Amino acid sequence: MSYLFASALLFALGVYGVLTRRTAILVFLSIELMLNAANLSLVGFARAFGLEGQVAALMVIAIAAAEVAVGLGLIVAIFRQRESTAVDDLSELRG
Amino acid sequence: MLLLTILFPLLGFALLGLFGKKLKEPLPGVLASALVLASFLLGVGLLAQGGGRFQAEWLPGIPFSLVLDNLSGFMLIIVTGVGFLIHVYAIGYMAGDAGNSRFFAYFNFFIAMMLTLVLADSYPVMFIGWEGVGLASFLLIGFWYQNAQYADSARKAFIVNRIGDLGFLLGMAILWALYGTLSISELKEALEGPLKNPSLLALAGLLLFLGAVGKSAQVPLMVWLPDAMAGPTPVSALIHAATMVTAGVYLIARSSFLYANLPDVSYTIAVIGLLTAAYGALSAFGQNDIKRIVAYSTISQLGYMFLAAGVGAYWVALFHVFTHAFFKALLFLASGSVIHALGGEQDVRKMGGLWKHLPYTRWHGLIGALALGGLPLLSGFWSKDAILTATLTYPFGSLGFYLGALLVAVLTAMYAMRWFVLVFLGEERGHHHHPHEAPAVMLWPNHLLALGSVLAGYLALPHPLPNLLEPFLKPALAEVEAHHPSLGAEWGLIALSGAVALLGLWVGYTFFQRKALPAWYLAFEAWSREGFYMDRVYNALLVNPLKALAEALFYGDGSLLRGYFGLGGTVRTLGQGIARLQTGYLRVYALLFVLGVLVLLGVMRW
Repeated sequence: MSYLFASALLFALGVYGVLTRRTAILVFLSIELMLNAANLSLVGFARAFGLEGQVAALMVIAIAAAEVAVGLGLIVAIFRQRESTAVDDLSELRG
Repeated sequence: MLLLTILFPLLGFALLGLFGKKLKEPLPGVLASALVLASFLLGVGLLAQGGGRFQAEWLPGIPFSLVLDNLSGFMLIIVTGVGFLIHVYAIGYMAGDAGNSRFFAYFNFFIAMMLTLVLADSYPVMFIGWEGVGLASFLLIGFWYQNAQYADSARKAFIVNRIGDLGFLLGMAILWALYGTLSISELKEALEGPLKNPSLLALAGLLLFLGAVGKSAQVPLMVWLPDAMAGPTPVSALIHAATMVTAGVYLIARSSFLYANLPDVSYTIAVIGLLTAAYGALSAFGQNDIKRIVAYSTISQLGYMFLAAGVGAYWVALFHVFTHAFFKALLFLASGSVIHALGGEQDVRKMGGLWKHLPYTRWHGLIGALALGGLPLLSGFWSKDAILTATLTYPFGSLGFYLGALLVAVLTAMYAMRWFVLVFLGEERGHHHHPHEAPAVMLWPNHLLALGSVLAGYLALPHPLPNLLEPFLKPALAEVEAHHPSLGAEWGLIALSGAVALLGLWVGYTFFQRKALPAWYLAFEAWSREGFYMDRVYNALLVNPLKALAEALFYGDGSLLRGYFGLGGTVRTLGQGIARLQTGYLRVYALLFVLGVLVLLGVMRW
C-alpha cells in the first residue's frame, strides 16, 4: 500500500513539474518522473498479485527510452532553430 | 468563303473592341465601314457566282449551316449595302463622341449578327443571329448609358423581345419534335408531302410568328420600338431601316414553305399586320419627337410587310423591305442631320423653317417623306401598291384587307407631310443658334439613299412592265398561286392608290400648314401622343403586378438571406470562442489534459 502512496506522490510531483517548468528538458524530466511513478505502482502490484505487472514495467522503460531518443532529437532541432528550449516560445500553432 | 461575310464585321468588332481606344478618331469608323463594304462586295460576288453554302459539324443533329440563295443574298445586299451607308454617315454623326470606337465595335457586331441571321440555313443558327441582334440593339439603344432613361429604353427593348424569343424557341421545339430536324432546307423537303399533324404544325407556325412579332414590333409587342429612339440616330436608322426589325419579315419569308400550308395562321399574320399598320400610322400623328414620328411610321410600315406576307405575297413583303430600307434610312439620317444642325434639338415644335438653312437635307427630307407617303413614281409607291394589289390577288387576302390598307395609306401620306411641314416649312420656332448643314461625310450617304428612295421601286414594276424581283426571289420562296387581275383592273387599282396617296399628301400638307387646328384633332392628337396609352395599359396589366411580385420575392429572398447570415454569424462567434482555447502554449494543453483526467476519474468514481 505504501508503494502506491509513494507512486502517487511521485506522479503528482511529475504533473506539477510538467505544468510549471518552462524548459523543455525539465518538462521531459518530469514526464520521466510520471512514467517511473507508473512503473513503481506496476512493480508494487506485481508483488501483490503476480508477475505480469513487471513485464508491463519493462515495456514502459523501453518505450520511455525510445521516446526520450525522439524527444531529445526534437529538442535539439528546435534549439538549433531558435536558441531556446522554453516551451512557451513555441506557440505558433495557436488557433 | 461564305463564312467570311460574317467574319469581316466580326473581326471589326474584335479589333475595335480590343484596340479601338488606341485608334485616332476617324479611324475606327473608317475601319468598320470598310469591313462592312468588304462583306457587301464579297456577298455580291458570291451571289453573282450562283450562291454558296457553308456547313460545319456543330451540335449533334444540328449542323452549323449557312446558305446564300437568292432570298438570303437579297437580304444580305440590303443589310450590308444600307448598313455601309449608315456606317459612313455615323463617322460624321458620332465625331467627337467619347465612345466613338465602342460605337463602331457594336455597329460591326450588329451587322455580323444580322448576317448570321440572314444566312442561316437552320433555325438554331438563325436564333444565334436573332439573339445577337437583340444584344447589339440593347448595347446600341443604351449607348449613352449614363442617362438612366436611355438605359431603361434599352432594357425595355431587350425584355419585350425576350417574349417573342420564347415563342421562337417553342416553335423550334415543336418542329424538332415533329420532323427531327431544324435545318430549313430539310424541313422544306419534309413539308412537301401531306402534312403530318396540321394543328400542331399550325401552333409551331404561330409560335415562330410570335418571335417575329417581338422582333418586328407588331401589335401587341410594339411598345419597345418608339422608346428605342434613345440611341444615337444612326442606330435608329440601322435598327429600323435595314436590319433588326425586318428580321421578323425575313423569318416569315424564310419559313414561307410552312406558312403557305397554313391558311389560318397566314390570315392571323395579315390581321396583325393590318392592325399594326393602322396603330402605327395613328400614333405617328401625335408625336413631337422628330425621330419618334419616324419610329411609329416604321411600326406601321412593318405592319404593311406582315400584311403582304400574311396574304401569301412573300416577295412583295420583301420588296417593301427593300424600298423601306432606303426611304426609312433616309428619313432617319435626315432627322439626324436636322438634330445635328440644331445642336441636339429633337422636338418638332421647336423646329420649322429649316428649308432655307439646310440646302441638301431639305431635299433628303422631302424625298424621304414623299417616298414614305407613296407619291407615284417614287419607290414607296410601287411597293405599297404591290401590297395593296396583293391583298386582292393572293389566296389569303380579301377586300377588307384592301380597304384597310388603303385607309392606312392615306394616313401614312398625311403624317409624312406633317413631319416634313413641321420640320422644314413654316416660320422658325426657337432655334438656339444658326443651323448649319451637315458635313460631306454625312451628306453623301444621304445622297445615295435618296437616289435609292427614288429608284428602288423600279426593281419590280406592275404587270406588264418588267418585274425583276419576283422571278429572282421565286425559287427561294413557297409557291402561292395568285390570280392575276385583268390589265385594266390592275392599273385601275394603281391609279386609285396613286390618287389616294396624292390626296393624303395634299390634305396633310394643307392641314398642317394651317396655324389653328380644330379641337377634335387636338383631342385625337393627345391620345395619339401617348400611343393610345398602350404603355399605360401594359404597365397596369403586366409591368406593375410583375414588379410587385418581384419585390415580394426580393423581400422574401432578403429575409431568407438574413436568416442564413444570422445562423452563420452565430456559428462564427461560437467558433471564435472555441478557437480561443487553442492558445499554442504547451503547458496550458497539459493542464487541460490533467484537469480532464481528474474530471474523468471523478466521473468514474461517482
